[in-house]
Amino acid sequence: MNKVMSNKWVIALYVLPALLVISVLIYFPIILTGYYGLMDWDGIGEMTFVGLENYANLLTDEKFWDSALHSFLLAAFSTLSLVGYLIISLILAGKIKGSELLRKIYLIPMLLSSVAIAQLWLKIYDPNNGIINSFLTAVGVENTPVWLADSNLVLYSIFVAIIWQYAGFYIIIYSAALKGIPESLVEAAKIDGANPIQIAYKIKLPLISGVIKVTIILAIVGSLKYFDLIYVMTGGGPNGASEVIASYMYKQAFSTNDFGYGSAVGFFLLVICLVITWLIRKLTASEDEIQY
Amino acid sequence: MKKKALSVSFLLIVVTSLMLAACSSDTESSSESENESGSNGGDVKTIDFMHLWPEGSSKQHNEIVNSIIDEYESNNEGVEVEVEILGNEQYKEKLKVLSASNELPDVGMTWSAGFLEPYVEGNKFATLDDVIEENLSDAFVPGTAEAYALDGNTYGLPLELNITPVYYNKAIFDEYGLEAPESFEELKEVVQTLVDNGVTPITLGNKDSWTGSMWYMYLADRIGGPETLTNAINRTGSFEDPALVEAAAQIQELVDMGAFVKGFNGLGNDEAKGYFINEQAAMYLMATWDLPEWTTNEDNPQEFRDSVGYFKFPTVEGGEGDINSYVGGPGVGLFVAEESDVKEEAKDFAAFFVEKWGEQSVTKAGVIPATKVDTSETDLPQMYIDILNDLNDASNLTLYADVQISPGVAEVHLNMIQALFGGEVTPEEFAAEQEQALADEE
Amino acid sequence: MNKENIELNKQTKINVTAKKGISLWGRIGYGLLYLILGIIAIFQIYPLVWLFMFSLKSNSEVFGKSPFALPESPRWENYAKAWTDGSINLYFFNSVWITVVAVVLTVLLASFVTFAITRMNWKYNKLVLGLFMVGLMIPIHSALIPLFDFFNKLNLIDNPISIILAYTAFNLPLTIMILLGFYYTLPREVEEAAVMDGCSVHRIFFQITLPMTTPVISTTVIINMIYNWNEFIFVNTFISSDKYKTLTVGIQNFIGQYLTDWGAIGATLMISIIPILIAFILLSNRIVEGIAAGSVKG
Repeated sequence: MNKVMSNKWVIALYVLPALLVISVLIYFPIILTGYYGLMDWDGIGEMTFVGLENYANLLTDEKFWDSALHSFLLAAFSTLSLVGYLIISLILAGKIKGSELLRKIYLIPMLLSSVAIAQLWLKIYDPNNGIINSFLTAVGVENTPVWLADSNLVLYSIFVAIIWQYAGFYIIIYSAALKGIPESLVEAAKIDGANPIQIAYKIKLPLISGVIKVTIILAIVGSLKYFDLIYVMTGGGPNGASEVIASYMYKQAFSTNDFGYGSAVGFFLLVICLVITWLIRKLTASEDEIQY
Repeated sequence: MKKKALSVSFLLIVVTSLMLAACSSDTESSSESENESGSNGGDVKTIDFMHLWPEGSSKQHNEIVNSIIDEYESNNEGVEVEVEILGNEQYKEKLKVLSASNELPDVGMTWSAGFLEPYVEGNKFATLDDVIEENLSDAFVPGTAEAYALDGNTYGLPLELNITPVYYNKAIFDEYGLEAPESFEELKEVVQTLVDNGVTPITLGNKDSWTGSMWYMYLADRIGGPETLTNAINRTGSFEDPALVEAAAQIQELVDMGAFVKGFNGLGNDEAKGYFINEQAAMYLMATWDLPEWTTNEDNPQEFRDSVGYFKFPTVEGGEGDINSYVGGPGVGLFVAEESDVKEEAKDFAAFFVEKWGEQSVTKAGVIPATKVDTSETDLPQMYIDILNDLNDASNLTLYADVQISPGVAEVHLNMIQALFGGEVTPEEFAAEQEQALADEE
Repeated sequence: MNKENIELNKQTKINVTAKKGISLWGRIGYGLLYLILGIIAIFQIYPLVWLFMFSLKSNSEVFGKSPFALPESPRWENYAKAWTDGSINLYFFNSVWITVVAVVLTVLLASFVTFAITRMNWKYNKLVLGLFMVGLMIPIHSALIPLFDFFNKLNLIDNPISIILAYTAFNLPLTIMILLGFYYTLPREVEEAAVMDGCSVHRIFFQITLPMTTPVISTTVIINMIYNWNEFIFVNTFISSDKYKTLTVGIQNFIGQYLTDWGAIGATLMISIIPILIAFILLSNRIVEGIAAGSVKG
């Protein structure tokens, strides 16, 4: 057994092509990003080496830390929303009528490009003609909120859109994982008299714990580098109230022509992701698996 | 064992075919580009031209461009113009990436002043003074080509010129017995009447905060005169000038009166314009690039188009600025890449393009060109003729603040505009913050 | 694995206290459940309806009027415009083949890696997995200039290979992560038995593991497909000729310097969602069927 499964040549054959692709197309840009971060460069003309100046500025840049806080909040909300996705997936995995159809319907939003999703949510949040405020006005609310224009609400308004946008992504992963649980285990528990909630909690969840851990990492890392809807829906405004790390980085690099600083922000973001992933690995490590 | 061999070879095929494809196309495209660029003394010289008028959104622009290119190619045997078109945002992004890799197109579009500066400093754009002297010496409206000049050299040939009037809905004004205001006090009265009647006075898409910036710039001009803001920016003056603080205070007064559409800080300009077109708001301050919307755009109801009028931004009593001073400026212009293989041809093409564009753009696409327009012989909607006349009488043209200043300070300015309109900062803080940003940059 | 199961069974036995049979409360519960599920379903399907209406409107209707409103007079010409002015007919084919090649390449490479990491015995598997995971963390805009430079040096700019490679590289880490969770869950008995029988690694991979992982493969195919289909930053940056552009770039055709034709954008989005919707429905069935096939073998 060990001999066959330890064949060095086979391992190399299986791993190297993919490793080659990512080392060239991902590690090369990562290294260059770190390198640009040491430069004073507008992305257009000559570069000048400034050492760690950009990184030093970063540590005292209030706007950066504000946007970092927003990114962390998004990460927290996305992780919490995994519970909701999981519950929906568990219900749909049960033997209820129409679950196949419902599951397909639930995944529809993930097919839409962010351009479409942003337009939809702009229409939902429009302060005068929007779906929510039309409804609120109809039921007699006078001072309807202005959502995306309100510095206190804007971030959470977008979070709702993002959480909705990603529902399909996680439900499809959880659904596939739940389908992978052998029917016999569930049947055995039923014969023993377990109710659906007990089956879900005691049998299904432990069996897909590996998948759950993966989705936690995906949700956190994905949130920390999230960009799309925020950039289209608010551009980070009003006055930075919905700025996140990636949109801040983009503005620095592409709009304000401080490519060196933007790269430093990008590289720092990568470091934050690494540290957090490492922490998650430590916190959720278990004996019988490879730690990831 | 057979299976094993099969699967291994399958994998190898996948990987190697990719590599091969990469290599083969490698040689293919390199030989192609050599032929195209003609740097080896080939017969055909290719000018790469990148612009931002796609057929879908800017059909007329696109057609004019194509006809100019056809004409140029038939006039100049052996020169070919290859076009790449991108949407506005993507254009800016790609220009940057191309520039970082030294791969700028031979001819492309640039914005003036602050946008152009890093490209000039990075030695990416060619000087065009020779072309202007030779072919276009008296072609441009005074002040337009200068917006593309740095240290006495010109790096862009302007294609458009816009000023910014206040458009208003005559039907709504009539309904409440209102007239186009000439002074700021009158404007406030108009606003008050509309607010009292539950009509949104002004629509504003301040998510794109350059829109709010235009309101601020006008008030700064009307209160402090055209030099005050310009001096603050070029550091002969200060942003904490009382006139600039007062202008900010006036903005907040308008906001407090309820002059602007609800939720303006979250609305984009397209959405804000929608309120005006759907007659849900009475006034809209926007540049003349929107003139086609009020005149020729069949998508908007005729009745609405007929009811749109415009007035010049009102004067402030006791203020320095006069009514014929405008916020505006040239939009895009053409640049020629410094490292172009076909620089001479590219310059020649750019000059030809500007000339032909000036002849056709206003009649065919409704774009007011930066070259002088002879209104006597053209058949234009009345609003165009009025605007062109106003342009002739203009006493001053102040370039949009976010274009005028460097991108870094522009970002601060735009953020502060949102904060000012949103009531998050006092006028004093608003001024102080920008003074700080400008001073830091010196 | 087996040991774990037995333990689980024991626990459930101890904890079981539930009564059997469906009571009145049970029925009300089910009714409520369906009500909630139904409301969520409306939320999820509404966007398609909305997009369809959007695609039949003019700019002035899109903005300013209620998003619920039906188009005043449906503008089918938006579709004609999208098809001709937007060159969609040309981009459509590119989108399809580029998406398919990139998806196949990504999922195949990712399966190889995941198999090697979870099933084979070697010292550096954790390290290599870590290397792939770091790939999740790079913001796409940081990579644009370095990647452009790289492809430019290889003369791959304006060549579809550049976007296929970029899609593969940027989706590999995610795909591997998703596969990983499943490979851990899957029982290894079948593979172990196959090794006993003297099967080669390749045979195990292609004939046992791949079929057994059909559900997750379908999942990753769907996710990759959607990502590639909707991607536009790489296409815009690396491709300049019309002949290689994809559908998402068709949207760019309607974004003007000052005026954006939203109705035509809606039509383009609507057209571009149809093939992916069909592919999605077919594939999501595979998630179920795949299990059946896998469990027969297991």
